[in-house]
This record gives sequence, structure tokens and C-alpha cells, in this order.
Amino acid sequence: MWEFLARSLEASTIFTVAALGELIGQRSGVLNVGIEGVMLFGATLGFIAAQTTGSYVIGFLVAIGIGAFLGLLHGFFSITLGGDQVVSGMGIWILGFGLTTYIGNPYTGPLGMERIPTIFGVSPFFYVAIILVAVTWFVLSKTSLGLRIRSVGENPAVAAVSGISVTKTRYLTVIVSGMLMGFAGAIYSLDYNPVWNYNFIMGWGFIALALVFFSMWNPWILLGGSLLFGSLWQLSLNPQLLLPGVFSRYIWRTVPFVITLGVLLMMSTKWFRTKWGAAKPAALGEPYSPE
Amino acid sequence: MQTGILAGIKHGETVLETRGITKRFPGVLANDHIDFEMKAGEVHAILGENGAGKSTFMNILFGLLQPDEGEIYVAGKKVKFHSPLDAIELGIGMVHQHRKLVSAHTVLENIILGHPNAGRILNLKKTGEEIDALCQRYGFKIDLKAKVWQLSEGEKQVVEILKALYRGAKILILDEPTSALAPPEVDKLLASIEAMTGDELAMIPFITHKLPIVLSTSDRVTILRRGRVTARLETKNATERSLAKDMVGREVVFRLESVEVEKGPLVLEVENLSTRNDKGALALNGVSFSIREGEIFGIAGISGNGQQELAEVLAGLRKAEGGKVMLEGKDITHASSLERWQTGVGYIPAERVDVGSIGDFTLVENVAMNYYFDHEFSRYGVVDYKKMGALTEEIIEEFSVATPSADTVGKNLSGGNLQKLILGRVFSRRPRLLIANLPTQGLDVGAIEFVQNKLIEAKKERAAVLLISEDLDEVLSLSDWVAPIYEGEFMGVIPGKEAEKDSVGAMMAGSRLEEVVA
Amino acid sequence: MKVGGYEVKLEKRILLPGWKAAAISILAIFVALFLFGFIFLQDGVNPLVAYREIFSYAFFNPFGFPLTINRFIFLLLATYAFIIPFRAGLWNIGMPGQLYFGALGAYAVVFALGGHLSRTAALSPIIVIPLMLLGSALAGAGYGAIAGFLKGKYNINEIVVTMILNFIAFWLVAFMIKEGGLFMNPGGRGESFELPDSLHAPLVGGTPFTILLALGLAVLLYWVFAKTRIGYQIKAYGLSPAAAKYAGISSFKIPLLVFILGGAIAGWAGYHYFAAVPGVFKISRNYGFFGDLAFYGLIAGLISLGNSLTAIPVALLFAGLSVGGRFVQGKLHMGFGLDYALLGVLMITLVIFQFFYRNKIVWEKIEKERLDVGISR
Repeated sequence: MWEFLARSLEASTIFTVAALGELIGQRSGVLNVGIEGVMLFGATLGFIAAQTTGSYVIGFLVAIGIGAFLGLLHGFFSITLGGDQVVSGMGIWILGFGLTTYIGNPYTGPLGMERIPTIFGVSPFFYVAIILVAVTWFVLSKTSLGLRIRSVGENPAVAAVSGISVTKTRYLTVIVSGMLMGFAGAIYSLDYNPVWNYNFIMGWGFIALALVFFSMWNPWILLGGSLLFGSLWQLSLNPQLLLPGVFSRYIWRTVPFVITLGVLLMMSTKWFRTKWGAAKPAALGEPYSPE
Repeated sequence: MQTGILAGIKHGETVLETRGITKRFPGVLANDHIDFEMKAGEVHAILGENGAGKSTFMNILFGLLQPDEGEIYVAGKKVKFHSPLDAIELGIGMVHQHRKLVSAHTVLENIILGHPNAGRILNLKKTGEEIDALCQRYGFKIDLKAKVWQLSEGEKQVVEILKALYRGAKILILDEPTSALAPPEVDKLLASIEAMTGDELAMIPFITHKLPIVLSTSDRVTILRRGRVTARLETKNATERSLAKDMVGREVVFRLESVEVEKGPLVLEVENLSTRNDKGALALNGVSFSIREGEIFGIAGISGNGQQELAEVLAGLRKAEGGKVMLEGKDITHASSLERWQTGVGYIPAERVDVGSIGDFTLVENVAMNYYFDHEFSRYGVVDYKKMGALTEEIIEEFSVATPSADTVGKNLSGGNLQKLILGRVFSRRPRLLIANLPTQGLDVGAIEFVQNKLIEAKKERAAVLLISEDLDEVLSLSDWVAPIYEGEFMGVIPGKEAEKDSVGAMMAGSRLEEVVA
Repeated sequence: MKVGGYEVKLEKRILLPGWKAAAISILAIFVALFLFGFIFLQDGVNPLVAYREIFSYAFFNPFGFPLTINRFIFLLLATYAFIIPFRAGLWNIGMPGQLYFGALGAYAVVFALGGHLSRTAALSPIIVIPLMLLGSALAGAGYGAIAGFLKGKYNINEIVVTMILNFIAFWLVAFMIKEGGLFMNPGGRGESFELPDSLHAPLVGGTPFTILLALGLAVLLYWVFAKTRIGYQIKAYGLSPAAAKYAGISSFKIPLLVFILGGAIAGWAGYHYFAAVPGVFKISRNYGFFGDLAFYGLIAGLISLGNSLTAIPVALLFAGLSVGGRFVQGKLHMGFGLDYALLGVLMITLVIFQFFYRNKIVWEKIEKERLDVGISR
């Protein structure tokens, strides 16, 4: 049972870090639907780097680096070229899915390194995630930088006449956002489940995306949602722990996804929508071009 | 607070000067050698119609645009603005007509956004105290913790002024300062302008229509027409009529001839109608009225008092929360917007670009927006684009829409021509009830006259017309009935002939008919 | 930006004539293939040789060409499943889920008629094959309708929903065909029962009849968008939901409708690959591969700018590339997943080229006097 709880927290860690990345980008008005792709890149390249060099540190650095690069790419498409953010995000997802399948295939199989030690029985990244949530919350709501980010996401034209560079602010968030997503991918492939497999992120990125909408752009609510989904995910993998004999194991695998749909539906109720409408960054998904 | 080159300026000294400012856009000479000069403690208004080059000049002064030729001097020093930040640093502040504020944030957050004093970690206490001091000095009252979307237009304007002052502005550009304000708020603004000029600040209001405001506030006026300065004079030597003539270039008729049409039977009856806005708050609260054939029913109000919601609920785009709507005796309270179009409702929306038309559609397809469902234009689910094209040509002809062809896409049309197309499209359906929401807003004088005459024509053709306007003169001169609206309620319904500007203005600000009469 | 005596500027395009759009799309494909050449180079293969092998296998080889055609039919159907919602401004990336459901729908018909019991079951193809088509269309449409309903009624982001539905459908197929599922192959190889011989899809010139369906739909969809009322309503909603609402177009019905139509066509794509391609006739163990392949439909739909006729050559090219890519991967001893990598490179190139649909680069000679103005400060 303890083992199950610990694994649940570790699964939550991945949702938290990836979704936090998306949240930061969205607060500045940039939507990245390609989280899954960035995670795949981070997971695959991090895995390969760690395996070839034998160093976890290098593995994580590579993952964060490729995340930053993909964030930059998304920024270039959506900020500099002013393109459709959905098209760009889709592009990054499919690029990630396609290229990592090809690049990672020769490395199919377990990582074959000593596991990263746990702290009080839980992966150290869980604690890192909590710190990241706290830092993100503090920066967004208590600092000048946070005010700038939020203003750019709400109304870039206003930010611009107040002397803030919309472009710089958005590039900053998009790069940090990519780094976190890449990091989340590497936590998956180097710590949570260190085995490379074809398209092994299996929807984590898309659930993380849904979690951001659910969180009403508040890092603490996001953490709560991630804990819920992490446990759910873990339960769907090991249903026998809690509910032995109920449903086939394939049906269990659908449960986190079905519940995601349920949560999305709940959020669209009238009560939720009035709250949600107020919290949503008003310029989300819209390119900004000064006239 | 900052000290720029304007810090120690004394009364009567020149703070800002431009020489020969010229700006070209493809096909247009927007500013043609504009010379302008103003002194500390002075209000120097710039007057001109839409398209006269006002906003170009304003954007140049604020650093949003760079002039092709000409120079700007601040306190006698030649300067060049690369962005608004340069202008802000030299002490020029802007109060935008379309408020540049983040509505989800608090007043304080808006004021300190981008300010060097904000601190790496937001110093809300210190900045709050400094801003409170500014408020006391100039007599502003505002709750710094309130969210901007909760504020009235006048309060939002105060926030913009405070934001500029806190940045150390000594010259304030005021873009259409009174446009969205209710009359009592205008009075407050005038009082604070006086307080600020008394403190040696310089004000440049840019004004299109409100000539009385120019006369009552400014010391000097510069008038622009077609990108050039046509007159520069001391305000005390001007009259409303002379200003209008310099601005338009000909004598202007201030009141339209009102037309008497024999009243017919009731077309629209509205009982106790209520609805909510997008945020879920009650926007329209139990409104009742009726319109007869051949009548124009004018609703006067400052934007945001429920008139938008009223138009939408009547057009079937918003759900009624309670009450009843009858069209020629038929209950249409719960009819869809499509059913309403088919039973004789015609709606001209205020948002002509985003709602009234589709930029990527050709004019033919745009006309189809109000016709695709008609049996005459589409049979068995197939649209007769040939017939639709012929209709479009007719509308282009009759409403003198300036366009290369009917196959041009909508976004290539100017605002005035787009409005003419929408008008033509809705009028040609010969609606029984015509809802016109801000039909002349943002148009130039020629187009305004055209649209107003068309509304009178609709009345002659025995339609019932609901006119929603923020322009009090327009409502008073066109309407058979005038209903000032305030916070979702009618403050009274007055026959057009008896409506006085003062009393209607007071009612727009929340006084009831009984109070005004008494 | 200044280059020599010229000023290089970007200008927004106001009108994009069809031929220019086509030219940009073709250029995008060429650039993607060029970039992809580096992957061959990196694996020590001459790209020209690789492309020659790919094209000659895909289009001129007696084994390869039929594979290409079958994949072409599949991709074309997947492309329509994307295009129809796309014209309404909505993203259907749920083609995999919808096509899994389409396959399940077709097999459910056969199952209900007892066709799973024996490969020699005598079922009348004239009656049962249309029923299978109906079953797959209904199942795909019903599954698509979930996303359309949630979008139309509650405005829930359709990208997240369709993607989540893909994962749910993926596991539901496993549930149906593996470990004691209803449609399990009696041999228990983790795949579905095989269709009775009598229900093998009739061939038209060696190709399953579904090719007629796919080509017929191209013309039908083109006509629908160019001429009909419903096509007009979908386009209006896609360009401006607010304006469409003003024009009396239901913001509930349009999303629902486009996802029902898209889902139904995706359902046929599922029928095609799992019940019509010669030699398969079962839901194979690697069904996930075909589901992921459907994402080529997304790219084909974007490149053909939502036009069902131009989608034909694009889908044919992509079919050839993916079939040929898989072939050279074996022949030239390259790693698995070459066709997926190509998918990724095509997509990201297209993203860049989206820019050129909206903007053009203008070279302007700088006049002497303007140069002076630029320098003085």
C-alpha cells in the first residue's frame, strides 16, 4: 500500500512539472498544445544521453536543454512569426512523436542504470515539484516579473504601452515552459519508468494540458489536480491493489481518461464557468502584433 | 517620483512643440506639416473629424508612430521617440479613449505595471501610499484594491490619469476624454483637469464631436482637416458654429429634419424583460416598452448599461431571464435568432467587423449572412449564388458602397462602406422591427448623415426602429420616443419632441424621470 | 531589415490566389523532403538513392503499388475526417479513436450475425457489407459526436477531448480483441476473429471498392462546401463563430454536425483498413500503428488547405512516402520509424510555411532621400 502511495506521488510529480510548464506559458498568453511532444523529446533524448554517458545529470540537462529549444521554436512560430499557436503546438507534438520514434528505437529496453535513490521512500523529484509549485506561485503573484507576465497574458497591448516588451516576456515564459516539460519527460524515462518504448508517454501530456484548464491557472490547484490524477493513473495500472477483480485491466487503463473528460465537463458547469471565465488569461492563444 | 527635463518648468513656458510633422501611409497623407505648440498649465485642444489625422498625430506624440518628416521638441530640446517608453520617460502621458487597462487586475497593479518603483518583489504598501498622496493632491477618489472590470468608465479614466501622473507625466494627452462618460462624470473630469493645470500640467485633449467641451475647457484650439492644420485660435474667440465650420470645411446642420409619419399598430411589445451579461450579472432589469409602425424608439445611455444586452436579447442572441417579447402579437421570447430573422426582425450589430460581417468572406457571401436561409435564395439546401450576386450588386449600387467588385473580401472595405453594406443587407429584407445598435459610431460625417437618413427612410417605410446610441444629439434628433437607460433600467420614456438634453443627460447618469421633472 | 540597397519587409497578404497557395504547399513538401534528406545522410545513405527507392517501390513496384493505393484510400478518408471539422475552425485529432470505433462497428455487425463462428459462414455480402459500412459509420460518428457535443454544448476544447478519446478507444479495442474479449480470435493471438471469406470486400480493378467511396466523397465534399447551405454555415462558423451566431447559425449544431460527419468518415477509414484491404480482414495486433498513421490525414488536410480535391494528390504522395519509407528502412538497414520521422518533419515544415500563406516578403529599393531620413537622429 505504501508502495502504491509512493508511486502515485511520483506519477503526480510528472503531471505537476509538465502542467506547471504549460501554466507559465499560458499565463503569458501562449498556448502550447504540444506538451506531449516536448515530453517525448525530453524523455527520449534524456534517456539516450544518460545511457550513453552513464550520468543522470547529463540526461536531465539534455532533456531540459531540448525542452528549452522546443520552447524557443514554439516561441519563434507563435511570437515572432505570429502564427496560429495551435498549429505550432500540433507541429511540435507530431515532430516529437515522429522523430523520437525513429531516434529512440535502437535504445528500446531498460535504462540499465542504478535507480535514483529515494528520500523518505519517495523520488526526490516529488519534493522538487512542490518547490517548483511554490516558486511559480510566488513569482506570478508577488513579483514585478509575475505582474508583467500576467499583464502580457491578459492584455499585451496594455503591457506594451506600459513600457513592457511583450516579445521578451513571452519568449522567457515559453522557454521556461519548454524546460519544465522536457524535465517532466526525463523524470518519466529516467526515474518513474526507466524503459524506452515506442510512444511511451501515452497521453500524459494531454492530461497535463487538461489539468491546466482545470487549475484555473493557479499553481496550488494544479498541484491538487496532479495528485488526484497521479493516484488515478497509478490505480489504473494496478487496480488489484484497491479493487481486485473489478473490470478488465484494459478498462482500467481508460479510467484516468474518462475521469479527465468528467472533470472537463464539470468545469463547464455554469458555476465553474463564471469563475473560470474570470481566471482565464484573456489573450490566451492570440498572437500579438503591435500596430 | 521621476524628474525629467520637464521637472522644473514654470507657468507659461513652452513644454512641447512640433515642427512640420508629416506622416504618409500607402495612398494617404495622414499628417501634412503639422506645427503645434503648448505651454505649461495650458489646455490646448486638437479638434478634427475621424480621418482628419488626429490619431496619427496623437500616436506620433506618444511614440507609437514615428514621423516621416518633422521634429518634436520637449522643453526646447529636440527629441526622437522610438517607442511610448521614450515619451513616458520625457514626461508625456496618455489617457486612452479605449482604456488601456488590464481588467482582471486591481487598480494598484495597473498603475504600477512597468513602473520602476514597483520593485522586484512588488512593493504594494509603499506604492499604494504614494498613489494615495497623488489622489489627495488632485482630488481623485478610487479604491486601489478594486478590480478594474468592476469600475465605471469614469473611474477607469481616473486610473489611466493616475497611471500617467505616477509615471511623472507633465503633459497629458487625453483621447476623446468625455466620450464614454455620463454628464456628472464629465463635471468631475473638468474639475480635476482644472486642478492639474493649476499645478502646471499641460493637457492636450483630442476631440471629434463634443464641441461644447472644447469651448468650456480649453485655452487654445488647433483644428485639423485632411491631415493639415486649418485653424489655430484662442478658444475665447470661437463659437460652436465656427469650430464646426473649420473642422468640416462647410456649414453644418446640427439638427436633422424630423419627419412625421402616421403611426400604425404596435409592432414590438416588451414586458418586464431581464437578461444577464457574459459575467453572469443581471444586465437588463425588467424593461418594458413598445414601438409602433413608423416610430423610432431611441435608447440613450453610456455604454455598459445594458443596451448591448437589450439588443442581443431582442435579436435572439442572448437568453431572456424573464419577461416577454411580442412581435406583431406573436410571442417570440424564446424564438431562435434564425426564427426572428424569418419573422421580420432585422439587427444591425455594433461590432460591424467581428459580428456583422466576416472579413474573409466575399461581399456576396457577406450579404448571404442574412439571406442563405430564405427559400428564394436557397432551395433543397443549395444556395443560389447567382441570385445572391445580383442582390449584392443592387445593394452596392443603392447604398453606394465603394468597392472594386462584389467578389472583394469584406476586410478590404473601410468601416463606413462595410456599415453601408450591412445596412443595405438588413434593409433589403424590409424588416418589421429594425434594431440598430450604435449605427453611426466611428463613421465620418458623410457616412453618419447617410446612415441617419436611411434610418428615417426605414421609418417612412413603416418599420418599427429601435435605435441605440451613445450620441445624445443623434438620439434626440431622430427619435419619436427617448428612453435613457442606466444600470439595466429605463429611467423613463419621454416623447422625442419634449426631450431636453439636460434632463436626458441627467437620466443617463441615473436620475429618474420623476426626479428630473420635479 | 536592410540588405544592400534594398529594404526587406513583410507584408500581410490580403488575397491569396489558389495557384499561389498551391505553390506554397508544394514548396513546403519539397523543403520537408530536402530537410529529411539529412536524416538519410546521417545514417550514411545517399538521399537521392533513398528517394529513388522510395518512389520506385511505392509507385512502380508490383508489390508496393497496391500497398500505396490501399494506404492512399485510408489517408484520404482520414484527411476528410480532419477537413470537415477544420472548415468549421475545429481540430479533429480524434481520427484514430473514431477509426477504431469504425472497425469495432463493422465487426459488431458480423459478430451479431454469427460471422465470428466460422470463416466459412455463408453471409450474403450484398446485405452484410452495406450493413458493415453502416455500422462503422455509425460507430465512428457516435464517437466523434462526443467531442462535437462537448464543444457545442459546453465549449470544451476539442483538441484535448479528441485526444483523450483516442486513448480511451485504444484501450477499448484491446478490451474487445484481447484476453477473452468478445471479438477475440479463437487462436488467442491478441487479435480479432477473421472475417468469413464471403465478406471480403469486392475489388474494383484489384483495389477494394472503398476507393470509389473515397474519390466520390472528394467530389461530394467539394460541392457541399462550394454550393450548399450547410457548407455555407460551416464555413461561416469556421471563420467567425460570433458572426455566424448573428446570422442565425447554431453554435451547437455546427460543431456537433462536423464531428459526426468527420467521425463517420473516419469510421470508414477503419472499415477500409481492417475489413477491406486484401490479406488483412481482421483487427490486427498492431492496430495502434494504423491509428497513428491517421495523423498524416491532419497534415494532408492542412497542406491542401481544407480542399477535398487537392487532398487527393497530397494523400497519394503521403501514402507513397510512408509505404516507400517503410520499405527502404528494411532495404537500406535503417532504424524503425522512418515513416513516423518523415511525418514529424513534414508537419514542422508545414508550420513554418503557414507563415507564407499569410505574409509575403517584399523587396523594396530604398530611395536616396529616405536613406538620409533613416540616418539622421
